[in-house]
Amino acid sequence: MELTTRTTPSDFLLPSIHSAPPFFTEQPAPSTRTLFIDNWSRLILAYARHRRLFTLRVEDAEVAGGDWDEILRNERINRRVLPSYLSSLIAALVANNVAVYEPAKQTRSVLLFWRLPEEWADVLHSWATASGQLNTILTFYEIIDPPVPSPLSGLPIPLLRRAIAVLTRSGRAQIIGVADGEGVRLFAGTK
Amino acid sequence: MALRRFTIPVDGTIPIPALLYNYEELLASQDNVGIYDGLQKAPNHQSGTIHVSSHRILFVNSRKPTSQSFSLDLVHVTRTNYYAGLFKSSPKVTLYLDGNFVASSNSGNSVEEGFESWVCEVCDHRNSPGLSPATARICALCGVPRSAIPGSPQPQASILSTSLPVSPACLSASPSVSSRSVTPNPTNGDPTSIACTACTFLNHPHLRICEICSTPLPSATGSTGSNSKSASSSRPASPLQQDSVIDPVNILIKLSFRKGGDKAFYNILRRALKAQAWEGRQIGKGPRSGSSSLGVPTPDGGSIPVPLRRSGIDGIMRNVEASAQSMETDLSDAFKDLEALMVKARDLVHLARELSEKLSAPSNNTTKPPSHSGILSPWTSSSSWDSTSSPTSSSMFATTSFVPFAEPEEAKFIRSSLAQLGLQLSNAPVTADMIQDERKWIEELARELAGVLQGSGDEGPGQKSVGIMKERGIVGLDEIWGGWNRARGVALIPPSTFLQTLQHLPSYTSPPIRKRTFHSGLQVLHTPPYTHAAFAARISGNLMISGVQTTSQIAQEENITISLATEMISAVEADGVICRDDASSAIRGGGSGSGSELIWSLNLFQDYIWDGHTFD
Repeated sequence: MELTTRTTPSDFLLPSIHSAPPFFTEQPAPSTRTLFIDNWSRLILAYARHRRLFTLRVEDAEVAGGDWDEILRNERINRRVLPSYLSSLIAALVANNVAVYEPAKQTRSVLLFWRLPEEWADVLHSWATASGQLNTILTFYEIIDPPVPSPLSGLPIPLLRRAIAVLTRSGRAQIIGVADGEGVRLFAGTK
Repeated sequence: MALRRFTIPVDGTIPIPALLYNYEELLASQDNVGIYDGLQKAPNHQSGTIHVSSHRILFVNSRKPTSQSFSLDLVHVTRTNYYAGLFKSSPKVTLYLDGNFVASSNSGNSVEEGFESWVCEVCDHRNSPGLSPATARICALCGVPRSAIPGSPQPQASILSTSLPVSPACLSASPSVSSRSVTPNPTNGDPTSIACTACTFLNHPHLRICEICSTPLPSATGSTGSNSKSASSSRPASPLQQDSVIDPVNILIKLSFRKGGDKAFYNILRRALKAQAWEGRQIGKGPRSGSSSLGVPTPDGGSIPVPLRRSGIDGIMRNVEASAQSMETDLSDAFKDLEALMVKARDLVHLARELSEKLSAPSNNTTKPPSHSGILSPWTSSSSWDSTSSPTSSSMFATTSFVPFAEPEEAKFIRSSLAQLGLQLSNAPVTADMIQDERKWIEELARELAGVLQGSGDEGPGQKSVGIMKERGIVGLDEIWGGWNRARGVALIPPSTFLQTLQHLPSYTSPPIRKRTFHSGLQVLHTPPYTHAAFAARISGNLMISGVQTTSQIAQEENITISLATEMISAVEADGVICRDDASSAIRGGGSGSGSELIWSLNLFQDYIWDGHTFD
């Protein structure tokens, strides 16, 4: 059994542990389990960041052909993550505050925080500063789908809200109701 | 004349047991018997076999069994006479028959009916053949009489008259019931059904109480009324009291015993007549089970029992209950034998021990003194044995005792027999009454258990007791407990004492045998190679060489059961030394569910450092 790293077609470097069959089985022994789940969390978040994926669902392990196939399945060693194991992994992600259930009150789908809301807040603020959009009212749509691609392109609205909430708390943003929904006005900041 | 009137032809080629009814019992048989019809010899029945059962006399003609055999109901016999024989005249038994008997049911048709199965119209119960004509009229399950065959009501009426219960209660009750009877509802289109006086439910004509409210029904309809009357007039309560009306010339049958056997047969016949098995059957049958307790309150305040046929759902339930009860009785009877055997078991074991002592005593005398603080002393046992056995046999044993290890053939046989019985007692089991001190007792038990487990070293010649754990390093506690108690045979050890004993076991065994409790609660005894550390080291080494192994491969290698291997492996897994790979997470094949197997490999990732994708 040779354990080597491998690069996926999407140019993602898989860790060597991903080619070990036991990695795909839920381990009952506590120490081994913690080790494996930690590595899974890291792998999931790294891949999500690489592919700019924001949601992970249990269905991704049930049906092949999704965005997550490159890490949830390993054709070379004929192993895949079972849905039950993925549920456990999702629960571990939520417990580590790197994901939240989205929508709330269910456990089959999560919003991944490969950047924490605080980090997104900084990204948002620096983007607004750099593009000169401070003190203007921006709709959410303008932020997540700007004409010029930005780090915030494709950001899910719930995550954007959390980032804005962080800014609001520090007095750098204000939610404003506009005709077709909600908008936000970003300030220079009073740090 | 009497022969034709009273007998029913049977097919003599059928074996006698098959001809008997369910409750009938064959009492005696005698061959070479001739029949006299009246005072003349019956020309067609001069050589045959006569059988007497509890209900009937059966004659099977030896020449023409098919056509010239007959049966005669004992109920018709009123008196018997015995003639011992003189010179060439054979001994004879004369049967005087009841002159009042109205020949009605010997049409042949009824006999045929008795031997075929039929389905009850009311409850659809399939009644089995083999019942007497009387009982075959009534459904065995619901008690409703077999209904009249359409188109032939006449035979049915006559059959009823013979099959009605002859109990005195019936005869006394039916007039009283009919006296209070009302005429059937004239507006009713169906003249056979009886309207209940209380609830007006139209009951089946054969019912005596209302199926709905259990009110006694008026036995009203013309046909049933005449039936009961004809029964009471034609069938006297006790036929044996009707001696006066017999015409002895015409109505008798003689059995001539050409080749002896007469006396025994006559005695049995007398007994059968006296027992009146048919009467008992009929009385028990009419007001069967609980329904006899029902009484009809008469106007004068008393209560007379009504002979009720069991009917309706109540009757069915009672029938089922009765059969369940009889089954229970049979079962408990069967277990009684077992209990008796258990009482004897102790004696048997005692005997086995004595035998074993006697066998081992001579050889011990010559070979060596008793090695351990034995429960049996060869000297005492041999002396007691001498006192009990005869001098000749003791001298026989004495000669053999001079030749060590040469047991006589008999001794070997006894030994092997005992071994086959599971009573192989090289030494008697330690029991609490032998040793007063509790602690010492436990220690003795531990010593004994060690012998059972590892095989005692000092057993006699010819015996090869292999300890339970001689070949196996790890055995479940239940198996050892069972095996030990089986070896003891008597004074079985309770589990609590067994567990106490285990604490002392390591000091009596070499290599020490210890107890181990797995996470699941499974307890085992094991030798040092099966400790957790030793097993973990071994499994790690194997995995190092082979890479991966399945549970069954490990079990095979360790020569243990798969469930035991699972327990031991999961203990190692809990340490984090190995990790599992469930084949059910395969993309292709591998199967799913419980059919797939776990594949074990070393946990090589304990100090794994992330070597995957990084940012920045």
